[in-house]
Amino acid sequence: MSAAIAVRPRRSSGRMRATVKYTLLTLFAIPWVGIPLWLVVVNSWKTQGEAARLSLGLPEQWAIVENYAAVFTTGNYLTGLRNSLLVAIPTIVVVLLLGSAAAWAYARSTSRSFQAFFYLTSLSILLPPAVIPTIFVLTTLGLDGSIAGYALMMMGTRLGIAVFLITGFIRGIPPELEEAAAIDGASRRRIFFSLMLPLLRPVLFVGGVLLVITVWNDFFFGVLLLKTSANATLPLTLYSFASASTSSLRWNLVFAHVVMTSLPLIVAYLVSQRQVLAGLTEGGVKG
Amino acid sequence: MVMAPPAPAEHRSSRRAPSGVRREPARRTPIRARWWGFAIPSLVLVVVFFVVPFALNIPFAFSSWSGYSDDIRLIGLKNFELLWERGILQNSIGITVVYAVIAMTVQNVVSLSLALALRTTNFVNSLYRSIFFLPVLISPLAAGYIWRAIVSPDGPLNAAIALAVPGFDKAWLGDPVTALVTVAFVDAWKWSGIATLVYIAGLNSIPSTMLEAASIDGANAWQRFWRISFPLLAPAFTFNVVTTLIGALSAYDVIASTTGGGPGVSTVTLNVAAVQQFGLSYFGTASALSLTVTVLVVVFAVPLVAWLRRREVAA
Repeated sequence: MSAAIAVRPRRSSGRMRATVKYTLLTLFAIPWVGIPLWLVVVNSWKTQGEAARLSLGLPEQWAIVENYAAVFTTGNYLTGLRNSLLVAIPTIVVVLLLGSAAAWAYARSTSRSFQAFFYLTSLSILLPPAVIPTIFVLTTLGLDGSIAGYALMMMGTRLGIAVFLITGFIRGIPPELEEAAAIDGASRRRIFFSLMLPLLRPVLFVGGVLLVITVWNDFFFGVLLLKTSANATLPLTLYSFASASTSSLRWNLVFAHVVMTSLPLIVAYLVSQRQVLAGLTEGGVKG
Repeated sequence: MVMAPPAPAEHRSSRRAPSGVRREPARRTPIRARWWGFAIPSLVLVVVFFVVPFALNIPFAFSSWSGYSDDIRLIGLKNFELLWERGILQNSIGITVVYAVIAMTVQNVVSLSLALALRTTNFVNSLYRSIFFLPVLISPLAAGYIWRAIVSPDGPLNAAIALAVPGFDKAWLGDPVTALVTVAFVDAWKWSGIATLVYIAGLNSIPSTMLEAASIDGANAWQRFWRISFPLLAPAFTFNVVTTLIGALSAYDVIASTTGGGPGVSTVTLNVAAVQQFGLSYFGTASALSLTVTVLVVVFAVPLVAWLRRREVAA
């Protein structure tokens, strides 16, 4: 008798618990994600006066075209997009490629100096980059205020996380494959490009995701290293667009710019979210 | 471990190789030398754009470098004394630490709770995980604008509170205490999605047999969490606590788009103060503030890692 009773309540209490859990999660997701994102989107469709009330309702008067046109004209969106791409693409390619090459050396060589270089490189994960002396270094190199200088600084400070993740990954791969390829007469460069890089694909994906998120969204280093508005990346164009009105923010325009600035990453995420989440979760175990 | 034996052998052979070998056609370059070509490009970038600036920050912090004179000399502790006399140094250290502790606490409480709720991988949980990840993609600057709107006197937060308390119109960013708490909260909001995934990975690496055994022995969910999951979660916990703390000690972006350091100086973190000094062309004092961030990171992170790691061993 006791068994029959014990089983049934447990099953229904499990279902109850699931209902309670997902209700709580939904109640949390609404103010945590839903309202912030909806507020941005819906107010970017309103006129300035209506958006100033910051309500969550649909616009009484639609101003989508005007607001988004302003993002492109006075918001310098295309300049920002071009510069952001000019920083992000070379940074990610260079960091992943040179980071993999260095990580291979650090993972396979037991030389003391290489171990020291590995720790030196990894230090940039923990220690904040010294931005003011970086300006001094870039001025010495004649790159002060340029996109190239900013991208080089990004590469130098992001290599740490990439090298750290990739070295850990390579240490988990048995070296027999590389040895076999070497015996067959493949050159080191050939082994790297035809064997190692394809093997590293999962960790390169995780590294690329982390790099995109931090490089695309950086504001602090950009504001100090990029002098002119012609070199401004998207966060910098957003900031100067928002700061253009002296008294209070024109929320309709600020939000339209926020939507356009975030859109490239959001679209990329929506396309690849399953791999991104799985990759970051598995990458987290190793990190 | 597997690759350990062959490597020292390469090592030795290259060391013993007679110097004449190098002159022969490239085919016979010592194996160790071939690794250098792979390491050097990355190493050069790291040294020139991370290590050198990092090392230069120390003399700069003690120098008279400014935009007003070509004469740069070492002036001892003067920059720090000047910042202290004006109250900037002690104020911004205090604010930075409070900001970092609030951001770290909120972020870890939220992400650990979410990870516990979304631990098993199934369709519904994956959907929730991907929703809670969305803020990670938004730039901290944009996140600042979004929350500045939400907590503004006419914003949705006050509108919601006004349903219970009619006429509620608090200016959250106008009060020194709530302004600091709000900006730190935005920082936590922006990054919680990533910390959640790290915790989920940590939870899923715990053998389920252990939890089942405890459950058979009569441990309830609360006991299973505190006695088994939490101790075994130590590596993920260390990683999240340390990275969120370090990230928050360098806070700048969220503040730039919300309070700009105000009201008064109540949200002027070290990096905000450094940018202000930099804007005034006082590069020496700006470097001094930026060096203080580094010192704080070392002072906080090193003992924290050591202490949390000890917990891992004990577990």
